[in-house]
Amino acid sequence: MYEHDIDDFPPMPVSLAHAKGPGKRPEFTQVRSGQGLTDTPVNRETDMTQTTSFIVKSLSLGTALALVTMTAQAAEPDLATAQSIVDEHSALPTFTPPGKPFDAASCMAGKKILSIPTSSSIPFVAGIQEGMVEAAEEIGFEVRPWQNQGQPTQWVQGIEYAIANGYDAVDLMGGIDPNALAPQIAAAKDAGLKVFASHHRDVTDIKEEPGVDVSLPLSFSRVGEIIASWIVTKTGGDANVLVIGSDDVPPSQPYWKSFEAKLAELCPDCKATYYNVPVSDWATKIQTTTQSALLQDPSINYLFPIYDSMSQFMLPAKAMTGRMDLPIASFNGTPFILDMIQNGDVEMDVGESLGWIARSSLDAYMRDICEVGDTPDELYVPFYIFDASNAETAGTPAELDKGYGDAHVAGFRTLWGLE
Amino acid sequence: MTAQNTDMPVVDAPRINIAEVAEKYALVAALVVLFGIFAMLLPNTFFTWANVSTMLGSQSVLVFLTLALIIPLTSGDFDLSVAATLTISAMTLAVLNARLGVALPLAMLGAFAVGGIVGVLNAFFILYFRIPSLIVTLGIGTFLNGLTLWMSNSATIGGIDFALVMGVVGTRLFGIPLAFYYAILMAAVIWYVFGYTSVGRRLLFVGRGREVARLSGIQVDRVRFFSLLSSSLIAALAGILYAGTIGAADPNSGNTFLLPAFAAAFLGATAITPGRFNPVGSVVAVYFIVIGITGLTMLGIQSFVQNLFYGGALVLAVALSQLVRKREEQQVG
Repeated sequence: MYEHDIDDFPPMPVSLAHAKGPGKRPEFTQVRSGQGLTDTPVNRETDMTQTTSFIVKSLSLGTALALVTMTAQAAEPDLATAQSIVDEHSALPTFTPPGKPFDAASCMAGKKILSIPTSSSIPFVAGIQEGMVEAAEEIGFEVRPWQNQGQPTQWVQGIEYAIANGYDAVDLMGGIDPNALAPQIAAAKDAGLKVFASHHRDVTDIKEEPGVDVSLPLSFSRVGEIIASWIVTKTGGDANVLVIGSDDVPPSQPYWKSFEAKLAELCPDCKATYYNVPVSDWATKIQTTTQSALLQDPSINYLFPIYDSMSQFMLPAKAMTGRMDLPIASFNGTPFILDMIQNGDVEMDVGESLGWIARSSLDAYMRDICEVGDTPDELYVPFYIFDASNAETAGTPAELDKGYGDAHVAGFRTLWGLE
Repeated sequence: MTAQNTDMPVVDAPRINIAEVAEKYALVAALVVLFGIFAMLLPNTFFTWANVSTMLGSQSVLVFLTLALIIPLTSGDFDLSVAATLTISAMTLAVLNARLGVALPLAMLGAFAVGGIVGVLNAFFILYFRIPSLIVTLGIGTFLNGLTLWMSNSATIGGIDFALVMGVVGTRLFGIPLAFYYAILMAAVIWYVFGYTSVGRRLLFVGRGREVARLSGIQVDRVRFFSLLSSSLIAALAGILYAGTIGAADPNSGNTFLLPAFAAAFLGATAITPGRFNPVGSVVAVYFIVIGITGLTMLGIQSFVQNLFYGGALVLAVALSQLVRKREEQQVG
């Protein structure tokens, strides 16, 4: 909030007096998460001469009128744009080659990559690794998963194992921050290994990753935009969304920010409230947080747990507060959530094909190892919306990596010269 | 609530008791056998000096934490806050050094001091208010987790001075990272204190029976105070080692050491000096578990088998130890 006496301002054209620079902005309270997204004019007291006071009053009136007009214009939700984003991601994914073709089999023959996941006990991560092992076998080299339970000391052991056993590369996948293993990465580089990282941060979260040859962040921020568009479409531009995130998972903040920004852009009158629940507290805190938020603000009409496995803890909160009508939209495409869509407990889930991620990561790694030259700097994987109309394509009960079609299998095989 | 020790009655016979020797060294033998099995199965990967040195170096943090635990366990107290102390100590170091630019020695001192504060807090609530240690340390541990999340903004903090990394895992002596030697040194110190000083005897007496110890003229509260304080200080050192091992600090992963450390402490109490929490047994126990987990990992066995091994080994070892003792009642916890 900017509080200035009128005498603080340098002389300037009246038309700009309320529009430019710090100190010249009209006053707003930026009501952030928890209180909505709208800018509200607030009262102020100024000490000034009568003349100045008159001018200021006139200007204030003008500003207020301008604001009313602007708000009236901005309040119209952009349903067409929202619908086009939803449509784009409701169609079955098609394959677009992420680079030029190359002969993967000849240059990868005899190569070994050790893939260290954030934790082998996460089905999502284990599914990607399974896909990588399969694809590598097709091409004719070895990808070895390093089974672990999420302890950094086990990751350390993994990297040292790769160094000691003649691996060509180490892949840190599914959420390991390479900067949290700096000494081991430096040792791997000294030993001549390539270091790769994938699916570990948002594309907008740009950071230095010393020693990492290929870094493949995921566009979590795009997911935020898709879900914002979905909610705007479904509510016809009248949404009050309860968002639950986990700030200890690095992409959470950029992901939430992109959702917030897209929601504000498509629907200025919509509102979103963000609560942070660390992963270790999901089982105990998501339900209570949701209940409290629903009781505090009965006008909430959409639930958005940013990772879909959170949904199961929100369901009891809906029942407890008598709000079974509340729809849930989320991201990940976890099979049991797709089952919940079939049951009607969850409305939509943005999914990403694990097989696609596996092949896309390997494609980028091989481009680097084989020095093909056009290594991507983002994980190429389409986002696909599951809702009641297509959830059963994932199987009943739903299976990992089913329902996305198989355009990527033939696509990558052709790209790698296997067809 | 107390964690009473489980010593057998003293055996009067001076001659070597085969059952006793078997019990003392059963875990050591199991460790050797397990190592042998994996060495045969994986001669080119497991049975290599590179792997042995990695196992020894990368699990020093767990050794430290187990050693921190056995002190209050010996004096009859639980300390469930050790893992949270480790985490907040590592995070304090990272925040001070990487975020605020404080010199490494000072940041390390800060992390160590945090351990001291935690120990004093634990002892204050346990001894002054007479609250069971299980409750106090559970509460303080949870509180520390919250503080760590707040300090770090729930994020991993990298960029700790590389000198720490060099001093922990970057420098090797006989091919093994220095961290291993720190852990062995700490075990030796505790072994000496437990076995050859009056302080160690007092700890044991207090653990066996507080009232008897008090009537014998031992200042029970003072002994418990220092045992809780040492536990937190060693946990803080473990935190510094942890930060040095990965060159960063994250707000959650340190907490996952709690159950393995307890498992190693109880498993270690079945070896070397059976029935007593002892440092040598603890070190053997940690490496027994590490050999099992590493071997299974290298075989590419699914990660749930690691849990089966952790839990199964603990219950089996204690059960076998009980068989040797003719199923005498255990009163731990």
